[in-house]
Amino acid sequence: MPFRELNNIQLDALKEISNIGMGHAATALSQMIGQTVFLRVPYVTITEISQVPEHLGGAEKLMVGITLQILGDARGSIMLLFPKESAHRLLCTLLGRHEKALIMNEVNVSALKEVGNILASAYLSALGNLLKKTLIPSVPLLAYDMAGAVVDYVLIELSQTSDFALMVETDFTGVPNQELAIKGHFFLLPDPATLEIFLNAVTGSHD
Amino acid sequence: MTERVSIGQARIARAPVILKACGLGSCIAVSLYDPETGIGAMAHMLLPTRPENNPLGSEGKYVDAGIFQMVDELVRAGATRERLLAKISGGANMFETIYQTLINSIGARNARSARETLAKLSIPLLGEEVGGNRGRTVEFDLASGNMMVYCALDDEYVSL
Repeated sequence: MPFRELNNIQLDALKEISNIGMGHAATALSQMIGQTVFLRVPYVTITEISQVPEHLGGAEKLMVGITLQILGDARGSIMLLFPKESAHRLLCTLLGRHEKALIMNEVNVSALKEVGNILASAYLSALGNLLKKTLIPSVPLLAYDMAGAVVDYVLIELSQTSDFALMVETDFTGVPNQELAIKGHFFLLPDPATLEIFLNAVTGSHD
Repeated sequence: MTERVSIGQARIARAPVILKACGLGSCIAVSLYDPETGIGAMAHMLLPTRPENNPLGSEGKYVDAGIFQMVDELVRAGATRERLLAKISGGANMFETIYQTLINSIGARNARSARETLAKLSIPLLGEEVGGNRGRTVEFDLASGNMMVYCALDDEYVSL
C-alpha cells in the first residue's frame, strides 16, 4: 500500500500504536535514568524522502542516531535520534557525572546504544503484544554525525520501494525544564508490507 | 550564489553558482561540468542502479540514470559533451557493522556505480573523496570547478 493513500482512520491507528509503544519505552527510560520522562503525543507524517532531513531540523545538524532493524513477523527499522546537546545531557544523567563535552568513546557509545536497545525493545514488545506478532529488535548501531548523513541509510532502504517516508515520530523530554530537557525523536519506519500487517491488525480489516 | 541540491535531486546551473549538497552519508554527490562554458550539474543520489522494471521516482535518485540524465541536460543547455569532467564525493558507511564486507555496503556500491557509469560515458573522473564512516557536505563551485568537502567533526576540509 502506498503511504500516500492512507486515510485518517489509518493514520490515527498508527498514532495510537506508537502512543502505546512509546508509553512503555518512556517508562523503561524513566526507570533507567531515575527521572520522569514526558511524552508528546506522537504524530505521523508522510513526507517526500528528500524532505526528511529538514523535518529533523536541517541536514547538517549534529545528531546521535541509533538504528535497529525490526526482525520477526514484521520488517522495518527504528531510528532514534538525539540532538547533540540532548545526547550529552542524557549521558551525564546516565553515568552520574558531569562531562564537559560529548565524546564518543567506548563507554559513552555503549551507554547510548543501551538506551536505544531498551527503548526499542520496550516499544516493540508493546507493539507485538497489541498486534499479536513477534517483533524482535536487532543489535543497535550508532552513528554521530550530520542528521542527513545519519538518516540517509534508512532513506536509501525506503527509497527502493517508495518515494515517501512514513515517519511515526514521538518526542520525549526528561525534565519539564525546557533548558535542561532531553529531547529525542523516535522514528518507526515500517516497510510497505509490514505497514499493511499493522493496519490490518488495528483496524480489523483483512482485505 | 549557493543553490541547494536535496536528496534525489539533480540540478543544473552556470558559474558563478555554487551547488551544495548537505549531509551525505551513504548517498553520493556526482558533479559534472564543462570548464569552458561554466555550465555544470550536481546530483545527490541514493541508489546505485535504476531497476529496469517499474522504476520509482526521478532519475536523480539513481546514480546510473542520474548521470545519463545530467549529461543530456548539460548538452542541451550548451555544454560540450567531450569537455565534461566529473568529481564525486560521499558513499560512506555510517553504521559500521551493518555490512560484514565493506565492498557490498550501499555507499561503496554507489561509488562503484558512479565510476562505472562515468567510464562508460568516457567522462574523466578528476577527483573523488568517498567511503569511510563520515558524513559530508559538498560544495561545487562552477566558476573554478573546485569541489569542497566538509565533515562535521573536522575543521579541515578537502578540496578536489
